[in-house]
Amino acid sequence: MIRVESLTKVFRRPHAFSGPFGALRTLVTRRYDERVAVDGVSFEIPEGEIVGYLGPNGAGKSTTVKMLTGILTPTSGRIEVDGRVPWRDREANARAVGVVFGQRSQLWWDLPLIDSLRLVGDLYDVPAARFTGSLRRMCDLLGLDDFLDTPVRQLSLGQRMRGDLAAAMLYDPPILYLDEPTVGLDVLAKQAVREFIVDTNRAGRTTVVLTTHDLADVEALCRRIILIDKGRVLYDGGIDDLVTAYAPPRRLVVELADGETRTFEIAGGTSVPELIAQVAAEHAIRDLSIEEPDLESVIKQIYAESMR
Amino acid sequence: MIRPLAGMARIGLRFQLAYRSDVIMTVLALIAQVFLLRMVWTAVYGGSGQARGLTLDALLAYLSLANLQAFATTPVIPRIAHFRIRTGMVFFDLSRPTGYLSQMAAFQVGHTFGGLLMLAPAVPVVLLVGTITPTAQPLGYVATLSLGYVISVMMSLLICVIGFWTLETGAISLLYRLVSHFFAGTMVPLSFFPGALGVLAEALPFKYMGYVPAAVYVGHLSGGQVGRAVAVEVAWIAALAALLWAVWRRAHRRVVINGG
Ligand SMILES: Nc1ncnc2c1ncn2[C@@H]1O[C@H](COP(=O)(O)OP(=O)(O)OP(=O)(O)O)[C@@H](O)[C@H]1O
Ligand SMILES: [Mg+2]
Repeated sequence: MIRVESLTKVFRRPHAFSGPFGALRTLVTRRYDERVAVDGVSFEIPEGEIVGYLGPNGAGKSTTVKMLTGILTPTSGRIEVDGRVPWRDREANARAVGVVFGQRSQLWWDLPLIDSLRLVGDLYDVPAARFTGSLRRMCDLLGLDDFLDTPVRQLSLGQRMRGDLAAAMLYDPPILYLDEPTVGLDVLAKQAVREFIVDTNRAGRTTVVLTTHDLADVEALCRRIILIDKGRVLYDGGIDDLVTAYAPPRRLVVELADGETRTFEIAGGTSVPELIAQVAAEHAIRDLSIEEPDLESVIKQIYAESMR
Repeated sequence: MIRPLAGMARIGLRFQLAYRSDVIMTVLALIAQVFLLRMVWTAVYGGSGQARGLTLDALLAYLSLANLQAFATTPVIPRIAHFRIRTGMVFFDLSRPTGYLSQMAAFQVGHTFGGLLMLAPAVPVVLLVGTITPTAQPLGYVATLSLGYVISVMMSLLICVIGFWTLETGAISLLYRLVSHFFAGTMVPLSFFPGALGVLAEALPFKYMGYVPAAVYVGHLSGGQVGRAVAVEVAWIAALAALLWAVWRRAHRRVVINGG
């Protein structure tokens, strides 16, 4: 159970000077730059749920995840993860959570993958028998066998990401924070990662907080999403409800005989056959299709509105 | 809990071994340095038998040993830590159930061990160039050297932690390396430093990595001096531990993780 209340993070850091002795001036300056990254976020996530934590670039998603893991201390507000305050009870919290940051890796770049995985076993003190079992499962689910002995720097992005997922899960944490775990992966690799997440969630009732810009991930994995922008929650609820509530009208897209394409909004209460008949009466139609509102168009609309 | 630390030490060792070509260069640099110092100092001594209580033979033995020690124990963690802070990878170090500083210290110990393994082929050469003979004070040598190593690791941890403030410490690392090697007395023994420089060198802890153990080895420091050196080393360790603890607590509170 994750409980977040009025969570706020303001980054306050010494003004960065450039030029000669810039580092020294930065060290002694009293000038500060402030930036509100997370601004009064509240939500609750029950055990075993997979939640999509979405928002445009710079919305504050990664910052939230860093606070959930206890690495960053909030400026104000509260977090409780299974009854613990992450940044106060770091050790117990560390054992209970696994983290994947798609943009960076916890694997040791110059060493074979297996070395980093063994290190995780040591750091979390996983008993040898359980470690072997866990590793076996990871290898089977993620197909690691082919590159266990390859230095991480020689792995492809997708292979590295699978290595990172394994490293985050080897000690069976009940909570997983996945920050863009599919970024840059091809269709098949994405599929493998999604299946792994579903499997882990089912097998161990693992709670998953998933951040991604790929809405196909969200549609495949989450029933609920939390949408944030500029550090504030814009929406928290089911995907279906979101699409219904925000759905832009359906649209009729018509390709005319002369090659021109026209779109007509299908306002509520309009009969589609009548609309088609009406358009057909006025134009020579070569082809037509109806655009249904989907998650992407809804999210696009919400982002666009919050930009204004 | 020993297992997490053993795991980190193993990574440090593997990391050192992964950079074999670096070590070959280090071995060559070490041998070259010892040779050059021998040439310079032999010329400086001319025909005179002693300077400041050191015979030429004792001086050459001292310099060779001090350089061997300094090369074998050059700290790697400031470089590692700064890279990981800059790229945000330090996130993972901080998210472990084991403390950050003990992870880094364990990494350094494993790395040093790997360095010793790879420097082993150079040892006979250095011993030969320095005409080093067995010491009369093996116990004093091992004691001052081990404590000196602890001091050196603690100093590098301090440099690691400073990275959380400046977020950019390439220059500080380089400066530290220069200063620590110079004041360790790897070029010139500390007893040759003039006036204020000598006082400063005596006061700073860098000498425990180079000068002090090597001087004990060749008998330049002996008897009560060795006991006093050990006592001061222990005091330094206590002081550095307190300082590290205080600095780390403050750093920890202001941690930011780059990138997202
Ligand atoms: N260490 C930092 N110092 C100052 N500002 C920061 C720092 N880290 C993040 N920020 C700012 O906080 C805001 C939120 O950043 P965050 O990384 O949480 O965004 P995000 O939602 O993860 O975005 P993205 O989808 O691009 O990964 C941004 O405006 C960013 O510039
Ligand atoms: Mg992010």
